Amino acid sequence: MIFETFRIAINGLRTNKLRTFLSMLGIIIGVGAVIAIVSIGSSAREEVTVQISSLGSDLLWVTPGFSAGRATRMESDPRENFTLNIIQYIDDYSPGVTNVVPEVSGSVQLRRGDNTLNSTAVGTSQDFTTVNIYYPERGRFIDQDDLDQSRNSVVLGSNVASELFSDGDPIGQRIRLNYQGRNINFTVVGVMEPKGQGIMGNLDRRVYIPVTTFTDKLSRQNFVDLYYAQFSPGFSSQEARNQIDYFFFQHLGDENLYNIMSQDQILGVLDQVTGTLSLMLGGIAGISLLVGGIGIMNIMLVSVTERTKEIGIRKALGAKKRNILGQFLLESLALSSIGGFIGIGLGYLGTYLVTRIGNWPLVLSPIAVILAFGFSLAIGLFFGIYPAVKAARLDPVDSLSYE
Amino acid sequence: MIEVKDLRKVFKNGEIEVEALKGVSYTINDGEFVAIMGPSGSGKSTMMHLLGCLDQATSGKYFLAGTDVGKLDDNQLAIIRNEQVGFVFQQFNLLARTSISKNVEVPMIYKGVSRKERKRRAEEMLAQVGLAHRMDHNPNEISGGQKQRVAIARALVNNPDLILADEPTGNLDTKTGDEIMGLFQELNDQGHTIVIVTHEPPIAKQAKRIINLRDGLISSDEVIA
Ligand SMILES: Nc1ncnc2c1ncn2[C@@H]1O[C@H](COP(=O)(O)OP(=O)(O)O)[C@@H](O)[C@H]1O
Ligand SMILES: [Mg+2]
Repeated sequence: MIFETFRIAINGLRTNKLRTFLSMLGIIIGVGAVIAIVSIGSSAREEVTVQISSLGSDLLWVTPGFSAGRATRMESDPRENFTLNIIQYIDDYSPGVTNVVPEVSGSVQLRRGDNTLNSTAVGTSQDFTTVNIYYPERGRFIDQDDLDQSRNSVVLGSNVASELFSDGDPIGQRIRLNYQGRNINFTVVGVMEPKGQGIMGNLDRRVYIPVTTFTDKLSRQNFVDLYYAQFSPGFSSQEARNQIDYFFFQHLGDENLYNIMSQDQILGVLDQVTGTLSLMLGGIAGISLLVGGIGIMNIMLVSVTERTKEIGIRKALGAKKRNILGQFLLESLALSSIGGFIGIGLGYLGTYLVTRIGNWPLVLSPIAVILAFGFSLAIGLFFGIYPAVKAARLDPVDSLSYE
Repeated sequence: MIEVKDLRKVFKNGEIEVEALKGVSYTINDGEFVAIMGPSGSGKSTMMHLLGCLDQATSGKYFLAGTDVGKLDDNQLAIIRNEQVGFVFQQFNLLARTSISKNVEVPMIYKGVSRKERKRRAEEMLAQVGLAHRMDHNPNEISGGQKQRVAIARALVNNPDLILADEPTGNLDTKTGDEIMGLFQELNDQGHTIVIVTHEPPIAKQAKRIINLRDGLISSDEVIA
């Protein structure tokens, strides 16, 4: 019986294919949008997660913060407590972390002969490579002697090397760094491996110098932008974090003067952002599904009016109210579910294209499919009820005489 | 058996009331062949709709095979239309874009007959009205007389006792009309009770009893054969 009713419903839809398709359009677009948004969202999230993880694993960042009481004192730099000499103390007092790396950076102009190039100079220590899993391809990275003696040694990002030294080996060559109008000559000691676009910008376009050289000769201030550290084997992120927190609180006496962030925290923030975004876009997609539902109701009402005579005939031949109700309800369900199927196909196609273009991993969300499809069925049911009830309630004699 | 007592039907369209039937009473026994005649607007179709359980009377009683139809709900009326009454219309009222065998299957769908049995029985009924070779055609591909044969096959398919036909020859030429009347004659011989509405005396004369309606009242009721 259900099967028969379904066949009757499908035949009803087949008789007017173009109109059937047009009335499904809203659902198609809505479902397609839901699938695409959620899937593209999770693909993008996956991509960023991979990038954050590629920064190195098990990392904690310590950045300067603003104390409420000192915010009014404009002349004070929030970084002023982030001096180089406390690194040793962090290492000593916090067994939970190893390889504490300072980082301070600034815009520089590089010059070699007539070639100039804008770049970012990063002052850091020799542990930078292990923590970031980022190593020199040729030559060497900054070493302890460079740091101890504030040598003018520079390691080039792979792009910088290829742009300034297209003609030969840069190792041992000299380049001139211009920082805020001051020119300083540096000797190239190494070239980094290509790393590509990271979350902090393109690493290949930067140059790396000893942090002591940066503070002594470039910034001429004895503090850095931030520290980061790996937590030691056997320590959890929380333990390492607590130790660092304790150290900085003891050292600075004000919890507002520093921020500690771990990798999982950054991922958490990312989750929140993408979650909010997905929710918002999902809402928009939901609205288009709703509009699709109204489209279906509209077409079903037209269909009921057009087929008044058919309804009359069926009633004269013994159709009960529930038979007619079922016929039109199944018809709108068929409309919305076929529309849902096409929408899923389109959504996947869209996701595939976007992830191909962005070169992201393709993450198809099965939950989005089930959700979108279920939602379109629910909409077919909900918006099909009114027209179907209207059809079922038609008076047999009146509808038989309808022309 | 049909028993009608003081049946009235009033149509209300806003303020305007039309009394289509003003109190009719008669009995039709099983196996009768009755023609209802009368001028246009005399209430013939209204009468047929009530007999066919497509509509309910405003007042009065209608017993069909002992059942008080006035006490039935929509579902029960649908079951009677499905199983106990076969309706034939002047306009044929076949479902468009549906093969004639599928048309004949419709009443069986609502009765819950299995697919296989439906097919078999539709074939059988179409053979009985001489259309076995047109099974897969759509209604727009056959003549008026053939359409009415399909409609009769459809009316008969659930084997109802009562066949109601509202001007079944009204849209047919005389020869085709006679053929259709021959079919009703046959069905009556097989034991079906038949009530047809017509305003053509030659058609009415083929029945065994003629009831004349005038202005919603019976003006004459005579057995002619
Ligand atoms: N649905 C209706 N609403 C109002 N008046 C109706 C309706 N159906 C029939 N009538 C009126 O009832 C009377 C009888 O109609 P009907 O039974 O169709 O007559 P017949 O079939 O004998 O021509 C007519 O006056 C007609 O106008
Ligand atoms: Mg009439």
